[in-house]
Amino acid sequence: MTEEELTADAHHLVGWEKHRFLVMVGMSIIIALMLVAVSMKLYESSGAAQLDLSRPGYEHVTEKVATSEVFKGFPAVGEIDKKVIEEFRTMYHKRAAQATNVDSFSGDVMSDAALAIDAPAAPVEPTE
Amino acid sequence: MTIFILATLFSGAIFGFAASAEETAPMTDSHIARIRTNCVDAQSTLFQLHATDAGLRVNRGQIYESISTKLIAPFNSRIVLNRISDETLLSTAAQYDKQLEAFRQQYQLYEEAMSASLRINCVNQPVAFYDSVVDTREKRRLTHEAAADLHKTIQDYGVKVDMYAKNFQADKS
Repeated sequence: MTEEELTADAHHLVGWEKHRFLVMVGMSIIIALMLVAVSMKLYESSGAAQLDLSRPGYEHVTEKVATSEVFKGFPAVGEIDKKVIEEFRTMYHKRAAQATNVDSFSGDVMSDAALAIDAPAAPVEPTE
Repeated sequence: MTIFILATLFSGAIFGFAASAEETAPMTDSHIARIRTNCVDAQSTLFQLHATDAGLRVNRGQIYESISTKLIAPFNSRIVLNRISDETLLSTAAQYDKQLEAFRQQYQLYEEAMSASLRINCVNQPVAFYDSVVDTREKRRLTHEAAADLHKTIQDYGVKVDMYAKNFQADKS
């Protein structure tokens, strides 16, 4: 097809057909934005956002997250005998102590007094 | 009789009104002024707490998760495969998994409440900020309770494993 024929064809196009390429680009952007919105919604509603320490403001916390330890756990297949149970007990109690040794999310740090937003004490009336 | 009923209704209405007034007692101006003065520092403290809690949640979550997936589930599976399972161990494991899910959900609610508290312009909206802090504190308390429930079940399972070991030895001897 020659250039003249293409130009002649283009003259027959009407309305949006003249801008098909731009429409395609626009639609692609709209679809991409919709997919991003859906994925952001899933990211927030699934609880992943709360565990994501790469968010701005959490960089210093990332260093405190324990990543070095690789806990293999207890094998799910094999015989059960006295020695195996004893091995499991030792492993379990050690891990249980790690889990229960911290009293996490206690409320004292968020009290009104700790945040200095408690009601001020009523003025003491002078005694006669 | 009619007078008695009317008197009862009237006094009930009065007491009900008094109770609801006490629950929703408006803040004094001095309290609002104190919140407005100190809230920027309070938000800074909350921001630090928010970040520390995120790290704590990840660390605690890893340990809680590993107890379920790497210890309790494999052990239960192994005793079932060897046909020497124990009903109490299985039911405690199911309870632990439910509590772990409750802990995850509760932390998420707490984190969302905390983020909302941090977003409020507390100088312009001191009362809204205070109410939000109260709500966040309540959700933190529930998260603490969810973690405490998990700790209790972890200890319960340990006790049951000890019992299981004792019974196993007794059966074998």
